[in-house]
This record gives sequence, structure tokens and C-alpha cells, in this order.
Amino acid sequence: MTSEDRIPDTPLLDRRRANMGYALNKMAMGLSSPEGRAAFLADEEAYLDRFELSDAQRAAVRARDWREMVRLGGNLFFILKISAVDPTPIREIGAAQAGMDLPEFLKTRLGKVTNG
Amino acid sequence: MAELIGGLGTSHVPSIAMALDKGLRDSEEWKPFFDGYAPARQWMAEKRPDIAVVIFNDHGNSFFLDRLPTLALGVADRYRPADEGWGPRPVPVFEGAEDFSWHLADCMVEGHFDPLLCRDLDVDHGMQVPMELVFGRPEAWPVKVVPILVNTIQYPIPTPQRMWALGELLRRAIDSYPGNDRVVVLGTGGLSHQLQGARAGFINPEADREWIARIGSDPTRYRAMSREDYIEEFGSEGAELIMWLVMRGCMDAEVNTLHQHYFAPASMTGAGMVLLENAA
Repeated sequence: MTSEDRIPDTPLLDRRRANMGYALNKMAMGLSSPEGRAAFLADEEAYLDRFELSDAQRAAVRARDWREMVRLGGNLFFILKISAVDPTPIREIGAAQAGMDLPEFLKTRLGKVTNG
Repeated sequence: MAELIGGLGTSHVPSIAMALDKGLRDSEEWKPFFDGYAPARQWMAEKRPDIAVVIFNDHGNSFFLDRLPTLALGVADRYRPADEGWGPRPVPVFEGAEDFSWHLADCMVEGHFDPLLCRDLDVDHGMQVPMELVFGRPEAWPVKVVPILVNTIQYPIPTPQRMWALGELLRRAIDSYPGNDRVVVLGTGGLSHQLQGARAGFINPEADREWIARIGSDPTRYRAMSREDYIEEFGSEGAELIMWLVMRGCMDAEVNTLHQHYFAPASMTGAGMVLLENAA
């Protein structure tokens, strides 16, 4: 993802990313409770106001831009909870990060020729 | 004294849980995966372990980044299924092997492993899925559990060598535990997968098959690999495989691989299992 990653295209949650993404991941962690999910669904902007997201992180969440969320320090295990309130299949999230459409992702990464 | 009756290495992919919850067990996509676990399930039914020690990682469900233990040990008498965002899954509450857990806590600290001790802990798919794969979905689980949670999410994660040493310590704890309990050890996670970054969707079936074939008979290479080696070969989340080393380190040097199974991809993950017994 960046030259600072030790293994190419592999954003490990190290000190730099954990610091950068802390508020974003904390926001997502809030969706672990029924109360958090209800608040997010009722008024997403108001829910996001509770956390100190950067403008870029906030925009990425609004756009459901999974690649950008990870670039800004989001870790998939946390931000995946957004897909629990706004359903998105995990493979589509993977394809978005790889910069591919779903059929190409399934075929070239996972060796599948159907959309299964 | 308690007896170690076997070791199971298995994936804990959440889509396995979703497939079960949606009634897809016998679907075209999933049947071959689940069928491959039948011999292990049969073995559990015949061998009737009393205690299952389950080594897994929490996936941002029980622990957050505000305070994240490298190593945690459950010492509770029960563990509820965690709410991972979709509400708790309809699996039975896990009964904890509280006495063994406290014995293990003593052994760990005296052996210079210092875990966070957890007496009020929800457990996520990392523990639920392996249990469902080998015990099905009973009214109540037929074994008591001991959860050992390893941080594999935030770096630095522990080394593969440390995981092996933890397995050796776990063996001493089992061998020194008074009573006649029959103990099975479940090392979980993997196999190859990567969920994050431009390399998302990376799987390595060739390396996975090699792992399945050799983790019992010849684990030397895997024991020596670095964390970076694991990430390169198995993907960033595939590095969860270090938790199988706790199970393998717990077993004798010489083991019999009774059953093995591999299936890819389960969702975005190479998935499978091995079942080991000590050779003697």
C-alpha cells in the first residue's frame, strides 16, 4: 500500500496504522452493540460525530470506500462491522481493496469462474 | 493424571458459521467442505474428551485496541457467544473447565508466560466454528472448554517459536493435572488468506496442502519460520496458522496424522483440518 509497509500491498496493523486508524476502528467497534447499530442506522452523521474521525476517514465511511478506510488505518475486522449494518459481501470488500471488479477478483485471486 | 488424547488443527472462517446459520451445510458449494470433517467429528464422538483447550484469536469482538492482550486465558465457568455485529449466534453457551484453567494459569505464570486472565468473556467465531465443526450444534456442548486467545491482529504479534513453547508448556500442564480428564487441544485459524490491502484475496493452496501434509510428520520448517515468512506464504491473516503450533508443540515429536482435509476457497480462505494422535 505504501513504501512503509514491510510486505508489499499488505497493510499490517502496526504502530503507525493503529494510531492513524484508532478513531475509525473505535467507531466501527461501536457497532458491536445493538444500541450502536441502531444509532448508526437512525442517523449516521450523528453517530459519526461521536468519534474524532478525520475528514478523509469520515468521507471514506460515508462512501463505503473499503480500500480508503484501510489506507487510513482501518482494520478489516473492525470496519467489517459496517457491513453488518449496511450489508456488503466480504468478497466485494476484498475486490474493492484489490482494485478489481468482483468477477475478476474471484477468478484471478480465488480461482473461481462463477460469482459464487 | 489428565491425558492428552489428541490434537486438532482447523480453520475457523466466519463464513463457515454463516453457511451453517443459513442452512447451507449440504449445498453444492459447502457440502464437500463439511463432509471432510466427518471423520474428525466421528473421532470426537468415540473418544469423548472431557476438556477442549481451544487456541484462537479474537477478531475485534471481545478485545478492542484500547487494551489488547498478546495472550489471554479464560478462567471462567461459562463463555457466551459474542455479538460480532449481527447479534450473538444461536450456539450454546460454552461451559468452562474452570479448575483446569486456573491450573493452567499457575503453570503459565510459573513457566514465564503471563496471560491476561479473563473471568467474563464472550467468545467469537474463532472458538465457535471449530467447536461446531467437530461437535455439531448440540443442546449443550459435550466438553468443557479452556479458551486461549492470541493476538494476531495488531503488531507485534507473538512469534511462531513462542507459540510452540506455549504448546510445550500446555502439555506439562495437562500431564500434571490431577484427575482423569481426557483433554483435546484445538489449534485454530488459517489457512492461507488475506483480507486487507491490494493483496486481498491472496490464497496459496499449494502451501496449504503442504502444511496439512507435514504439520504432523515434519513440522521443523514451520517451527523455524518467522512471522514475515508466514505472512508471505499464507497471507496477512493466514499468519493465524501460528496458533496451530501451540497444538503441535503440545503433542509428542512422533504423531500419527489420523485425518486431514483441505478445501479452497471457503469464502476468501483456504480451509481445512488435521487430526493428530501421539504415536506411542
